[in-house]
Amino acid sequence: MMDYLTLPWDVLGIGAFWLILMAFLVALPCSQVGSFLILRRMALTGDAISHSVFPGVVVAFYFTGDLASPWLIVGAGLAGLISTVLIELIHKRTRVKQDAAIGISFTSLFALGVVLLETMLGKNVDLDLECVLHGRLGLLLEDETLPLLGQMVPQPIIVMTGVSLVTIVLMALFYRVLLLSSFDTGLAASYGYRPALIHYGMMFAVSFIVVAAFQAVGAILVIALLILPGAAAYLCSHRLKTMLALAALHCLLSAVGGLYIHVWFDTNMAASVVVCGAVLLLLAWLLGPVDGLLWKWFKDEPEHPDNETGDKIVTHSACSH
Amino acid sequence: MLDVLIPSSGAGKAILAAILLGAGCGLLGCFVVLRRVALMGDAISHAVLPGVVAGLIYSPDRSPIFIFLCAAAAGLVGAGLVRALMATTRLKSDAALGIILASFFALGIVWQSRNQQETVGVMNFLFGNVGSIDSSDLRMMMMTTSLLCVMVFFLKRPLLVVSFDEGFARGLGYPVKILNGVFYFMLTFSVVVALQAVGVVLVSAILITPAAAAYLLTDRFEKMLLLSMGFGIFAGIVGGVISAGISQIPTGPVITLAASAIFGVVYFVAPRHGVLAKLLRTSKRRRIVMRENTLKAIYQIQEAEGFAYEDVSVIMLAQKRRQTEEAVRKRCASLLKHGLVEFSEDGISLHLTSPGWKRAMELVRNHRLWELYLTNEADYAEDHVHDDAEKIEHILGPNMVRQLEQELDFPELDPHGKPIPQPQLAMQGLEPFSTP
Amino acid sequence: MATPALETHDLTVTYHKRPVLYGVDVTVPEGSLVGIIGPNGAGKSTLIKSIMGVVPSSGGWVKVFGKSLKENLHRVGYVPQRESVDWDFPVTVMDVALMGTYGRLGLFRRPGKEEKRRASEALEKVGMLPYSNRQIGNLSGGQQQRVFLARALAQDSDLYLMDEPFAGVDAATEAAIIALLKEMRERGKTVLVVHHDLQSASEYFDRLLLLNMRLVAFGKVKDVFTPELLQKTYGGRLTLLSEVADRAAKL
Repeated sequence: MMDYLTLPWDVLGIGAFWLILMAFLVALPCSQVGSFLILRRMALTGDAISHSVFPGVVVAFYFTGDLASPWLIVGAGLAGLISTVLIELIHKRTRVKQDAAIGISFTSLFALGVVLLETMLGKNVDLDLECVLHGRLGLLLEDETLPLLGQMVPQPIIVMTGVSLVTIVLMALFYRVLLLSSFDTGLAASYGYRPALIHYGMMFAVSFIVVAAFQAVGAILVIALLILPGAAAYLCSHRLKTMLALAALHCLLSAVGGLYIHVWFDTNMAASVVVCGAVLLLLAWLLGPVDGLLWKWFKDEPEHPDNETGDKIVTHSACSH
Repeated sequence: MLDVLIPSSGAGKAILAAILLGAGCGLLGCFVVLRRVALMGDAISHAVLPGVVAGLIYSPDRSPIFIFLCAAAAGLVGAGLVRALMATTRLKSDAALGIILASFFALGIVWQSRNQQETVGVMNFLFGNVGSIDSSDLRMMMMTTSLLCVMVFFLKRPLLVVSFDEGFARGLGYPVKILNGVFYFMLTFSVVVALQAVGVVLVSAILITPAAAAYLLTDRFEKMLLLSMGFGIFAGIVGGVISAGISQIPTGPVITLAASAIFGVVYFVAPRHGVLAKLLRTSKRRRIVMRENTLKAIYQIQEAEGFAYEDVSVIMLAQKRRQTEEAVRKRCASLLKHGLVEFSEDGISLHLTSPGWKRAMELVRNHRLWELYLTNEADYAEDHVHDDAEKIEHILGPNMVRQLEQELDFPELDPHGKPIPQPQLAMQGLEPFSTP
Repeated sequence: MATPALETHDLTVTYHKRPVLYGVDVTVPEGSLVGIIGPNGAGKSTLIKSIMGVVPSSGGWVKVFGKSLKENLHRVGYVPQRESVDWDFPVTVMDVALMGTYGRLGLFRRPGKEEKRRASEALEKVGMLPYSNRQIGNLSGGQQQRVFLARALAQDSDLYLMDEPFAGVDAATEAAIIALLKEMRERGKTVLVVHHDLQSASEYFDRLLLLNMRLVAFGKVKDVFTPELLQKTYGGRLTLLSEVADRAAKL
């Protein structure tokens, strides 16, 4: 039994720690932004963005040849912008509805990305279809390392630490703006918060994080990192702050669990992290304190919002001022 | 029996596959687009991946039927879980779809990465490869597509009613739940038919894009079904041919881009709902409005002079319209072309022809009637009504004019005290010049 | 003459080229409790949304206490329709009341003791203080509306625009809300309320704004609550107006 628990450490040594840390650092910014995507009912926009930024990443990579280059973010941003424009052009100018417009534009851009990848890059070890599907998380330990605090740290970890820190600082700064504009756009607009600006800010943040996570988990699995932690946390909590903290915890647990699945069953690391996340979500669905099926089943009766706030309370307070 | 239909050459097989997938997805795509469940299609198509992987691993001889059934089962479980998540939690549809899409896809990848030997061909299912489709696959695709066609043929009406208005369908006594179940069942089947040619990642494109293009071309559902199938088949063939020409490119993305190109063309040139048609209509309207405004200005100059003179000089008209003489001449030329005015011999002035008089009077009448309606019936202040009437005068039809006249009790003066002309009387021989 | 609390001139709103509100001119004096009434689709919510700038207007202007809305934004409180927000949102009653103080905090300052005191006070007033730790989804319709009202109180504005605060609330809450609105008026606040019940409108408000795509009348209840004006507001004589508007929108 103990053998199973120590297996990753026996096999990988400090590498196991780096893999967990990297998976956590990739998932963390995704989970924080993703929680707001869920609350704003934009979960599938995350899906659309992660697909449609792909041609931008390919083109930028073609010119720079470096997956860590900031130009990738520029390319991705442009591709994301094109997809937004396409969606608007289709559903504002014709009678095709928004869902179909989203479907058309992101599949087109993703297909374009794959064709460009195959024709422009040919056989490339750093960016190929495998990478798009699986990510390169498992190859982390073969990456360059840099000395930091007396340790040889894999370079992607340093990059992702930066991305996570920037995301968290921005989220903390704009916490109230995000909260209010997600909950009640009308009131937020009446305070002078610009809904369009916040919307595009969100889209930009998602594009940025998707590109940062792209190398590790690929273009498709990143959707899971955006949605699963927030959704699982949403099923367990009624408080936004708790939800965000639980989403972060979900990331950590998935990272650890993902590594064990990866080592025990010799599976793809990035997908293992996601599968572990999905299992956690399933647990939240069944046992979660808020939406747990099991509790509901035991309680047997539907929840009644209590209706007995007396009129007396207000009438007395009406004269208290 | 089906084998007779299967061509022996590789190209023939690819074309047959394209026809089958175009037909299957084209049919169901129409319902997907009309029901606004495009993203459900995307979720189901990703959710079939673990089924495909299971099929590849556990089928001893890669039996297409086995793979097909596993994939369809996974898709259906996914669709069911989406519904269950939405029904039992506070999660909204977008989050539920995203969760299932991502989790199932990851599960597929994990399972596949553990059994790489058994799942060598999985890339064909992820990004599509028409070349990998053999006779037994085609047999499977034929059976499924025929089944789908038969089901759509028999269930078209009830499915359409359920898609359009569920409440109404329930009122008719339709088993709405069963019909919805049947719909998702068919949707999953159509996804699986297209799987090998287009691939999990982009199946939703072949479902949505041809149907959306068809939707822009017609208002009839039957026509939409046929067009959508046609576009799907065309995209399938074009994509198949191109990707066969350039080696190494998976078929799915090329088919997707072919479908997008079709949509792009239709987007611009569709006769009623296309962007170009809309632009043309707007510019035609704008030209009519400019022409009619010039016509009205001629009438107003005449009116100001008490209809004393027959001719109006172009310079006066230019002053009235606050435009350059050149611009006014252009408008007048267009009026001339439509037989509404005639120029004097020296070309410096012009007068209205009889149809010109009629239309000018109609316009002025419309304008003044509408102003009166807004002030009297809708309680607008007098100074608010002119701008609105400027727009409305061009679009009031005879029926609306009759209604207006009735509601206003056949008025003679507008709110500013100007007479409302009566073209009907004038045309019966009463010369407009003689009216005060 | 004192500056009016709210002044609009020729306010016009179009959705997809279809006009929904035509040239509304209205001047609301300070300290009045105004009911906005009219049939469904008359543009009642649109009117207050366009005053708040939540939906863009296609013509005309709005002044609040003699200045543009932007300059006086902090003096206006907006209470959207209860259905306009997601009540499953993971926030507590207290969090929602605190949102009322956000407008004055600017983008980055965090709510402090003073803000919390104001929010608690507002909750106390509507009788929701005992529930302040509840998730908002577990409240009844009436309670949710009270929370919204508390949020508005915490805003401490001078002009309030409320969108259907009586929709779907129990009789007790309705009475409580109206008592609160009247008390706000006593303190010199100006309140505009979108209301759909003609019966109670004449007792609840001291002024009425009759609306049906355009301003039919605005004034003291005794002046405008007349059969003729109500007939004009609710009578179906304007079918032609909307027919023509439809046609104009199609072209």
